[in-house]
Amino acid sequence: MIRRIVDFTLILLFMWACMILGLWIIDRIIVPLEIPYVHPLITAIIKVGASSVLAIIWLWIWREIVKRMFWHTLKSYRRRSEQTGDGESGGKSIKGNN
Amino acid sequence: MFMIIESLVFAVGFVSSLLSMPAVMKFMRSRGIVGVDMHKLDRPSIPEMGGVAVLIGLTASTLAAAALMPDRANILLAFLFSALIAGIIGAIDDLKPLSARVKPLLTLLSGVPILLMGAYNRRGPIFPMIGQTRLSLVYPIVILIALAVTSNAVNMLDPFNGTMSGSCTVITISMLISSLILDRWEGLILSLCLLGPLLVLYLFNKYPARVFSGDVGSLAIGAALGAIAIIGRLEAAAVIAFAPQIMNAFYGLSTIGRLYERREVPRPVILRDDGRLEATSDPKAPITLARIILAYGPMHEREAARTIIILSIISGILSVFTAYLMKVTT
Repeated sequence: MIRRIVDFTLILLFMWACMILGLWIIDRIIVPLEIPYVHPLITAIIKVGASSVLAIIWLWIWREIVKRMFWHTLKSYRRRSEQTGDGESGGKSIKGNN
Repeated sequence: MFMIIESLVFAVGFVSSLLSMPAVMKFMRSRGIVGVDMHKLDRPSIPEMGGVAVLIGLTASTLAAAALMPDRANILLAFLFSALIAGIIGAIDDLKPLSARVKPLLTLLSGVPILLMGAYNRRGPIFPMIGQTRLSLVYPIVILIALAVTSNAVNMLDPFNGTMSGSCTVITISMLISSLILDRWEGLILSLCLLGPLLVLYLFNKYPARVFSGDVGSLAIGAALGAIAIIGRLEAAAVIAFAPQIMNAFYGLSTIGRLYERREVPRPVILRDDGRLEATSDPKAPITLARIILAYGPMHEREAARTIIILSIISGILSVFTAYLMKVTT
């Protein structure tokens, strides 16, 4: 159980730090942005768009990290279980509540 | 005086839920509204829709708060109506399953009372480092989406006995502490309104479950938590507290590529003959938080549920730290 919790905690901490970094970028770089000869409304839309792109990148990084971790962990477990003869074949698929 | 009101609100919610839960369980069983607990080898039948008792407790605590503080009744009622709308949608889904697209669309309605009663910060959310944003035009749309997201994300993270009720209790406590740090009265009182009924649900829903919450409970609790974040101006802290739910919903949706109901896709978890749970290697099954946790190897349901709650506690601690950052940087 400890290994699972440590891995997730590291991911959570990394994503939290990325969020703070993203907010810093928005605060220091995107919000003060002024584009000469461009209407303020267009500038505001660009700022919101850039911030949204950052948020999507944040979610994408989060997804990729966990996806890679999941398949790597599952494959390692399957390799181990094949060696010991313990694995999915002994189980049954479940349907229902909760 | 204020501490007395807070204690009273919590007690009303807790006691009314505690008293109504056995009656709700008995009623559901007598009407045949039961679900099979498929993570046990003996597959017991468990009464469904225990969330009705949460709604009873939440209604009692919120009305008690409104009676004690009539000048704040507006935001209290906005919070209550949001949770009730989501609860009604959940009850419909429990009795006659809605499609994977209709349910999230209907839950958009749960944000409407907050908008109609003006129970939100009209300028937009507050973030650490950035401070007060100016999103007055976009924010009302964000509120509708946010409540639909929180209610459905909570509904999706209910794989084992006690995980939904336990993780939501942790989120509520972290919102309560964040409200204390940021001196947000609304967040504090609304968290207390929800905490009592949630604790009762956890007591009855923890492993081995004596009741299932049903969508009536999970959607209402999710909407109530979203409403606390919006009304209490705790959006940034809430995003972090919701990390396990966001993770679970986001991975599931990105693997399947569309909105889905559990019954439509291969199950991500397998019950072994020894009673332990195992992650399936079926590539068509969604990558859910439960499946990721079980990818390390088989576990008993009790341990798997405990792991998810521990992860919620860690995100709760990070969310409280985020609230502290909001206080010192804005």
